Amino acid sequence: MVTGALLALSVFGVFFVAPEDADQGVIQKIFYFHVAIAMVALLAFLVAAIEGIRYLRDRNPRHDDVSSVCVGIGLAFSVLVVVTGSIWAKASWGTWWVWTDPRLVTFVIVLLLYAAYFVLRSSAEGERQARYSAIYSIAAFASVPLSFYSVRVARSFVHPVVFNSSGANMPDSMLVWFAVGQVAMIGVFLTALQLELIQLRADRALRRVKARLEAAA
Amino acid sequence: MSPSWPRQLRALLLKDLRLELRTRDTIVAMLLFSVVAMMIFQFAVGSRGDDLTEVAGGILWATLALTAVLGVGRSWVPEREQRVLDGILVAPVSRLVLLVSKVGAIYAYLLVVEVIAVPLAALFFIRGGQASDLLLVAAVCLLANLGIAVLGSLLACLALFARARELLLPVLFLPSLLPVVIAASGATHAVAGGTNDLAEYRGYLLFLGVYAVIFGLVAYATYDHVFDD
Amino acid sequence: MRRFGERRAVDRVDVDLRAGECLAVLGPNGAGKSTLLRMVATLLRPDAGEIVVCGAPLPDKAGAARRAIGYLGHDPLIYLDLTARQNLELYADLYGLDDPRDRVDAALDRVGLLARSFDAARTFSRGMAQRLGLARALLHDPRLLLLDEPYAGLDAAGARLLDGVLADLGPDRAAMMVTHEVERGVRLAGRVLVLRAGRPVLAEATAETDGAAFRARYEELVA
Repeated sequence: MVTGALLALSVFGVFFVAPEDADQGVIQKIFYFHVAIAMVALLAFLVAAIEGIRYLRDRNPRHDDVSSVCVGIGLAFSVLVVVTGSIWAKASWGTWWVWTDPRLVTFVIVLLLYAAYFVLRSSAEGERQARYSAIYSIAAFASVPLSFYSVRVARSFVHPVVFNSSGANMPDSMLVWFAVGQVAMIGVFLTALQLELIQLRADRALRRVKARLEAAA
Repeated sequence: MSPSWPRQLRALLLKDLRLELRTRDTIVAMLLFSVVAMMIFQFAVGSRGDDLTEVAGGILWATLALTAVLGVGRSWVPEREQRVLDGILVAPVSRLVLLVSKVGAIYAYLLVVEVIAVPLAALFFIRGGQASDLLLVAAVCLLANLGIAVLGSLLACLALFARARELLLPVLFLPSLLPVVIAASGATHAVAGGTNDLAEYRGYLLFLGVYAVIFGLVAYATYDHVFDD
Repeated sequence: MRRFGERRAVDRVDVDLRAGECLAVLGPNGAGKSTLLRMVATLLRPDAGEIVVCGAPLPDKAGAARRAIGYLGHDPLIYLDLTARQNLELYADLYGLDDPRDRVDAALDRVGLLARSFDAARTFSRGMAQRLGLARALLHDPRLLLLDEPYAGLDAAGARLLDGVLADLGPDRAAMMVTHEVERGVRLAGRVLVLRAGRPVLAEATAETDGAAFRARYEELVA
């Protein structure tokens, strides 16, 4: 509920209240979501790695559940990042894809990294599945900054730098709506996480009941 | 009272090298593969004519990355055959020693391949290079191999008992290997691509070192859980 | 207790093995015998419950436990492309044995493979390979022998040898043997534990027990 309201508010704010960018026009609006989604994707992968570590510590399957659901959400958000980034690239540079933008390219690598997570998951079983997934979620998260830096040093910096060391590089009214959008996206993440976990546990309970019924029959 | 780990490490490493010397399965396949891969890349970018100095670093490291996947995929095969791993795991061997021994074996395989493949790449693709550049490229190899071997031996464990493990390992391994390919080919290009940019070279080398350290830490943090069924 | 998914493979097993004792674990296929043995051998981590090997609780003191354990499974657990001697030398180094050369020689001699010690294990027959596996398991003079169907691959000479080892454990050593050969288990072991679907259904001393008579009871238990 709160998430929905926040999301509606941020959409409203972004499109009707925030000032239009001087040289990029209405398409610049996508930036509010693009960046917020990217941040949430990284947050999801961070949570996945932390839950991975916690799983290895105490072998509580709950941590594995959270970790795997986070990777799933992060993956979905990464797809959105690449899609919105591509739209933006078309608008500002006239082409759907640029290899010169390290952030966008990094997210494609991230997609590959975490898609492999599910390949690994489907290939292992039982306790091993959870343990291997946890180890891989940690290794994959370590790969993210390495990929980013390697892609970055490889190429130039066409990407509009929004935050720099001297603070946010945008008018205050944009910043406010950017913050609202970011909070809304984190809300979406938390809601999705909760729903997925509920579904996962319900699935498992259902399977257990089925197994018992079969055993009884 | 615990058995000394240097002795264990030596024994495990010696065992891998002995097995490889006896069967020569892995190294021969890796060598042939690397030569064929370089040929393929040459034809893929071949419209530039005879002088491929510009892209030689890229071709070399794309080739070596793919070759590494091949070698890493074979690295735990002796332990999987006849379930010998059980025998090793029942012995009082730290899992860290076991993992490090495999890192050493993979490192050695890569080195052997590079001793052949790097001069060959120079011969095939570089025009007007200097022999001294080979030494600088050798340094790139020594450092890049470390990261490849550390990450490779860890991920190969995860794929060890998986269904369709031959397919799983490249999918797991290559995305994480991308930074090595970028940095190592960048470093190679910096010294052999006709520009001789030593500052850039050092930067890439530093990155390769950081890469190896980070995955070393990841492996160190997780090694105890890899074999802990 | 060890769960595989929803199924409990081994549940509520409580065994106390004393020095000098030999325990035979019997039961039909899938009863959880091997799982139990692999848990004691530090190869599997129990989901619940505790295991102590020679005073070392698992998994915290697994290193100390592993030094005391000798494990022999269906497979000899040797590298087929190494020679018999190289295999044993590797294990001698892993266990940190003193005088590895003499120990390896003695072990090879004991299983009758000294003459073939420089041949690759790949050239060995199944029985010879399993004898080499037995030499590997006994190499460091383990205080606890864990045997999983050890007779399955052994030839007559190897079986006689293992019979001798089990009959003459001495006061400091113990053995735990998983087998489906009921008579042999009863004859060699001082005690038996019968598992069925992961649960213990019988545990008793068998010093005076007649193998054939026990077999009839066993069939009834696990049917």
